[in-house]
Amino acid sequence: MVDEGLKIELGKQGVFVTTIEELYNWGRRSSIWPMQFGLACCAIEMIATTMARYDIARFGAEVFRPSPRQADMMIISGTVTKRMAPQVVRLYNQMAEPKYVIAMGACAISGGPFKQGYNVLKGIDRYIPVDVHIPGCPPRPEALLQAFMTLQKKIDGQHLTGEGRPRHLDAEAQGEFPVPVPGEHDLEPASNPGVWTAPVVIR
Amino acid sequence: MLGEGILKGLAETAKNFVGSFVSAERLTTVQYPEQRIAPIEATRDFPFLVYDGADWEAGMRCVACQICEKECPPKCIYIVKSIDKKPDALGKPQFYPARFDIDISVCMSCQICVEVCPFEAIKMDTEFELSRTDRFGGLLFDREELAKSNEHYHKIHPTEAAQVDARLAGEKAKSDAKAKGAALAAAAKAAAAAKPAVSTENAAAKPEGAEIKP
Repeated sequence: MVDEGLKIELGKQGVFVTTIEELYNWGRRSSIWPMQFGLACCAIEMIATTMARYDIARFGAEVFRPSPRQADMMIISGTVTKRMAPQVVRLYNQMAEPKYVIAMGACAISGGPFKQGYNVLKGIDRYIPVDVHIPGCPPRPEALLQAFMTLQKKIDGQHLTGEGRPRHLDAEAQGEFPVPVPGEHDLEPASNPGVWTAPVVIR
Repeated sequence: MLGEGILKGLAETAKNFVGSFVSAERLTTVQYPEQRIAPIEATRDFPFLVYDGADWEAGMRCVACQICEKECPPKCIYIVKSIDKKPDALGKPQFYPARFDIDISVCMSCQICVEVCPFEAIKMDTEFELSRTDRFGGLLFDREELAKSNEHYHKIHPTEAAQVDARLAGEKAKSDAKAKGAALAAAAKAAAAAKPAVSTENAAAKPEGAEIKP
C-alpha cells in the first residue's frame, strides 16, 4: 500500500499511483446506471432528481436503463405492494452483478403509513439486500443525491478480498434470491432468512 | 429576400440554444453538496424534541403525556413515561419521557404530533441528509438524537418559534400571576384565619391578662 501523503506528493510530480482495488472501485462507483423503475409517489422525486435542477448526471447516474440486464442500481421508489414484490425480486435477479439497491422513502424501507395494512410489504429488505435506506415521505431530491453519495462511499470502502468483499467476488454468496409467491394469506416465504432476520428489540 | 424569415427564425433558435449554456439565469443546476437551495420557512422533514437552556435532559419540554404516540397515524413514536417527576419550565413537577423513540423509517412527516402537542415540545426539523446503510440501527432515533435546542428551532422556523415563545411566555406570566394571587390569597386567608385565633386567644387570655394588666 502506498502512503496517502506520498501519493499526493507523487501526484504533484506528475506520477499517478493507484492500486487495482482503487481503480476497480472508482470504475464501479462512477457510472452506476439506475433501472427505469418507479413504484409510487417517490418516483416523482426520483424523476426530479434526474432533471436539470438537481442533475444526477453529475454523479454518472443519468442513464436510466429500461432493462434490468443493463442496469447497475435499483431505486425502490415507493410502496411495494405484496402483488408487486415478486416482480421486484424477479427484476433484481435479472440484473447483472455488481448491483445495488437504494430503498427510497418510508414505504420501501418499512411499509411506512401502510405498515399496518394487509396488502403492503413491510420493507423490501425482507427479500433483497438493500445498500442504502433513505427515510422521508417522500425524500427530497437532495436526499436521493446524498444517498447516492453514501452508496459511492460504501463502494469505495469495499476491499476486493477478505471479509466484506462485494458479493460478486464471493463464490459462496447468495446469487439468486428466491422469488416469493402469493400464498393463501401472505407471500410465501414471508421473508428471505438469508438477507433479513427480525430485529431483536431491546426495551 | 426568399428565406429571410426562415433565417430569422433559425437565428432565434440558435440564440436560445447557445443562451441555455451561457446565460446565468438559465443555468438552473444547483451543485448540491456544495450549493444548496435555501429551505423555505415551512420546510419540514422529521420531528425533533425541543429543549430550553443548555442541558437537553433537564430542559426537555416533553412531559410524556403520550398524545403524539396515540395520534401518530403510522405509529412510529414509542414513549416510556418516567416513574419520578422533575420540575418543568413553569417549576411544576412533571413526568418526563424515560424513553422517546421515533422510527424515522416509518414517519411520514404529517406533522400531526406537532399539532396535538399541548406543551410545544415536538416540532418539525428540516434535516434531510439521513441516508443510512443499516435500517434498524441507524433509523431509530432515541431522545438524545431527537433533542434539539430552542435556538435551533428559532433558526429553522423563526416566525413560528417567535409565536410559540410569546405564547409560552404569556402562559408563564399567567401562571406566575396566578401563583402570586394564590399566594396572596393564601396569606390573606392565613391572616384572616389567624386573626380570630388571635382574638380568641386574646379573649381566652383576656381574663388572666385583664387581671394582670391593671
